[in-house]
Amino acid sequence: MTTTATAPAPGFESPGVEDFQLPPVFGTVTKPVLELVLAAIIIVAFFLVAVRKPALVPGKTQFLGEAFHGIVRNSIARDMIGGREFLKYVPFLTALFAFILVNNLFGIIPIIQFPTFAHPGVPYALAGLVYVVFTYAGIRKHGFGGYIRLSTWPPDVPWWVRIILTPIEFLSNLILRPVTLSLRLFGNMFAGHLLLLLFTLGGEYMLFEAGDWQLKVLSPFAFLMAIVFTFFEAFVQVIQAYIFVMLTASYIGTVLADDH
Amino acid sequence: MSTLAAEELNPLVPHLAEIIVGLVAFGLLVWILAKTVFPQFEKMYAERTDQIEGGLKRAESAQAEAAALKKRYEDQLAGARDEAARIRDDARSEGQQIKAELRTEAEDEAARIRARAEEQVVALRESAERSLRGEIGGLSAELAERILGSELADPSRRSATVDSFLSELDAMALRQTTGAS
Amino acid sequence: MISGNLNTIGYGLSAIGPGIGVGIVFAAFINGVARQPEARGQLQGIAFIGFALSEALAILGLVLAFALGA
Repeated sequence: MTTTATAPAPGFESPGVEDFQLPPVFGTVTKPVLELVLAAIIIVAFFLVAVRKPALVPGKTQFLGEAFHGIVRNSIARDMIGGREFLKYVPFLTALFAFILVNNLFGIIPIIQFPTFAHPGVPYALAGLVYVVFTYAGIRKHGFGGYIRLSTWPPDVPWWVRIILTPIEFLSNLILRPVTLSLRLFGNMFAGHLLLLLFTLGGEYMLFEAGDWQLKVLSPFAFLMAIVFTFFEAFVQVIQAYIFVMLTASYIGTVLADDH
Repeated sequence: MSTLAAEELNPLVPHLAEIIVGLVAFGLLVWILAKTVFPQFEKMYAERTDQIEGGLKRAESAQAEAAALKKRYEDQLAGARDEAARIRDDARSEGQQIKAELRTEAEDEAARIRARAEEQVVALRESAERSLRGEIGGLSAELAERILGSELADPSRRSATVDSFLSELDAMALRQTTGAS
Repeated sequence: MISGNLNTIGYGLSAIGPGIGVGIVFAAFINGVARQPEARGQLQGIAFIGFALSEALAILGLVLAFALGA
């Protein structure tokens, strides 16, 4: 009895990278692909319902839609980009926020239960898109030379600091921005899903496969932790979507700024 | 073989299908929302702001109007009060004037009446004195003539007698008045 | 008997610094907002940029842990 209790659980394989290689649902279409389409449909449907009967005194759905749009418009775009130019970016930012949020929340919605962005493809694509958007905005505003100068040449710095600072600025502003943007989202979703998998699969193993009655008794705690971490994941998923949009807006705001 | 399997399992390697579908789905999403939904929202915000600002402006103008009205009423009220005071003052001064006029008139009248009465009295007395003087002379002469007869032929004596008689009469009258009083 | 990958330990080590850094960034942000609540909007943007810069290191650690996999 003591030997079985202290020995590493026989037959238990902790979840790992291989759990993220989902089998295709049909043909070459995998679950994340379906989720992407589903997310787009859900968002479009929601917003179309929200503006179906526009009224000065909004109904419930319209109010939700307007509140969502208002958060991105006023507390992200206006604060980060500012000026009069922010209105141009509000549709992009709002759609981005909604798209990431819904895809993230798929991670804790029953049955679906897989955050789309635990696969890195779409985060790469979205970060690339954001990169294109803010680089285009910067080049259109300052010209190509001006944009590069703005990104790598901080003003009022002595030359010996510049030797170090300019490469760092170059790296962080022009290269690491999209990389970290995409990997932050992917990493959080990946780790969060792994965490949930660990507690759920571990609890399942303890309950059904372990030959030990103590593990069976203790298994509810594993499930309890899974539930707790589900709530935590919900929080993280919302925060990550917010941070993604926030950083996008702040990058756009930085390249549109007149001085560094 | 093992490196190939490891690469397949590397979670950092993206799936091409996901990238394509993700970009297409997101692109469509942005396009549809930017075309249909968000302009509607912006329009709604603008309208709402407009309504609120318009309401504020209306309230402001109504307030200004009310203030103007109030001022006008107050002005009117003050004017009316002033006018009432003026009328009252006028009436009072007029009354006083009338009173003074009346008094002077009455005094004049009284003075005139008194003067006329005095004149009358004086005139009456004079006429009475005159007539009495004449009559008393005649009467006493007649009486004396009847009593004495002769003695009165001499005019100088006669007048002396009359004078003494008259003074006697006067003295009698003086006594009478002093006695009466 | 321990099985696993040293990369995981490496990632754990690489997360320490950024963890401290992110904590400092948000502590300063909270301080700033407590002192001047009206500056919240501006500070929020700066705080998130600082957060992103520090967290970039942890993310690079995560990437390297996978990319340099055995």
